[in-house]
Amino acid sequence: MKIFSVSVLVAPPGSSATLLSNASDLSSFSFYQKGSVGEFMTFLSKTVAERTSQGQRQSVQENNYVAHVYNRGGKERLAAVVITDQEYPVRPAFSLLTKILDEFTATVSQTQYDPNPPSSTSAIQFPMITTYLQKYQDPRQADTIMRVQQELDETKIVLHKTIETVLQRGEKLDNLVERSTALSAQSKMFYKTAKKQNSCCVVM
Amino acid sequence: MPVQDRTNEFKACVESIRSRSNYPKGSEAKQRLLQNGSAGRGGKGEFARMAGAIGKDIAETTRKLGKLAQLAKRKTLFDDRPVEISELTFIIKQDIAKINQQIASLQSYLKTQKTQTSGKGGVGKQVDEHNHNVVMLLQSKLATTSMSFKDVLEVRTQNMKESKDRTEQFMYSTASAATAAPSNSLLFAKQREDGRSSRNDVKGKGRANNDDLLTVDLSSAEEGSGRGADGFMQMQLVEQQDSYIQSRSTAIESIESTIAELGQIFSQLANMVAEQRETVQRIDADTIDIANNVSSAQRELLKYYASISNNRWLMLKVFGVLIVFFLVFILVS
Repeated sequence: MKIFSVSVLVAPPGSSATLLSNASDLSSFSFYQKGSVGEFMTFLSKTVAERTSQGQRQSVQENNYVAHVYNRGGKERLAAVVITDQEYPVRPAFSLLTKILDEFTATVSQTQYDPNPPSSTSAIQFPMITTYLQKYQDPRQADTIMRVQQELDETKIVLHKTIETVLQRGEKLDNLVERSTALSAQSKMFYKTAKKQNSCCVVM
Repeated sequence: MPVQDRTNEFKACVESIRSRSNYPKGSEAKQRLLQNGSAGRGGKGEFARMAGAIGKDIAETTRKLGKLAQLAKRKTLFDDRPVEISELTFIIKQDIAKINQQIASLQSYLKTQKTQTSGKGGVGKQVDEHNHNVVMLLQSKLATTSMSFKDVLEVRTQNMKESKDRTEQFMYSTASAATAAPSNSLLFAKQREDGRSSRNDVKGKGRANNDDLLTVDLSSAEEGSGRGADGFMQMQLVEQQDSYIQSRSTAIESIESTIAELGQIFSQLANMVAEQRETVQRIDADTIDIANNVSSAQRELLKYYASISNNRWLMLKVFGVLIVFFLVFILVS
């Protein structure tokens, strides 16, 4: 379950999309494949962003990659694409896209890419994109809903163990009650015998 | 209630009193106090300034929240302004986060200041307490603001649900008018555009709003007979958007059910422990009984032993008398 690349593009409706910021993790490919795979991913991101209309989310499957795209549109006409393998769950992918777009609009001012987008992606500084890529490699920890669910499940397991322990404690307590009642009866007999010794006939 | 800096008044009072009475003995103490005031004044003024800024921000946010509450209370069907509401919600959310950060920074500033001026003594302690109280006050005000924000959002969701129900009613009533259907879908297509642009700002609210408009669009797409292919494409789009939102809502529902289960498990646990408490009390009473019994039995045995050891003199006397009788009998016989 890996993310291969995350990118933010500006996608004006009708014309071609331009890549603004990009982060990719191609460590699973061999050294000679990295270049071509990277180019393929940028091309896929651009195509998919162009083909998605404003305000729409889509998931496109290509060989064994899946591209999730969210074209937010709005004033800045931004779109975000994330390319993952086929196992990555869909919902956290889209929440990742929304988060990245929000951060991007918050940190990068619109003048840097509007009206004429820069030629190279290194002109726009958005280092958060790499941190997001790393963080979301494990969606269970990064995505809030999944993390909450996981913690709740762990708590439930702990509680089940606690209940079992309490049941055992109950058994032991029952054991103790029996023994203490028996001991109490015996001590009462002891007391009565001793008293009888005292008050009986005047013994030699 | 923003913090007021009245150091100037204090200084003026001191000056006037000093000029009024030439007081050589107390002048040193006053000098020291004044110096303390002016030395810490930089810090205290800074703190008061920051606290005042935070108070102003909180007041501003409360005003915006009041406006949002006004907007959210409107129950009209057509004049609803989702863009404004979602923008305002987003702005308020950001403001609350910013105020939170400011309060946190104020607290850390306070802590560093406390370590710096820790050797001040009595006066410094009061100032610290006052600052601490001011921070507490600001935090409580922020908490009440966020509570009211949450209430406003709840009111808004309720109103949206009601308006959706009413729109559905109207939709079914106008379904019979075939000419009205195309205009309906056009209208909703336009509204859909607005709904999408409002998505930029707010995550949860805007999405629910879009969902609202889109479900209506779905029903209109089904009924618009003239717009065959268009309606189908719209339905596909709607399904895509819908599925994300639905998957999110199902995930959250499952979390909610898990939390409810956890609550039940906790209450079961409490029940079991309460039952066991009875058992423990019985055991306790039994052990006390045992201790009592054993100690009183020991007492009896001691009494017996004491009586035996005392009684022996009497028994010896009885025996002696018996032996004397025997001797007498033998002597007689």
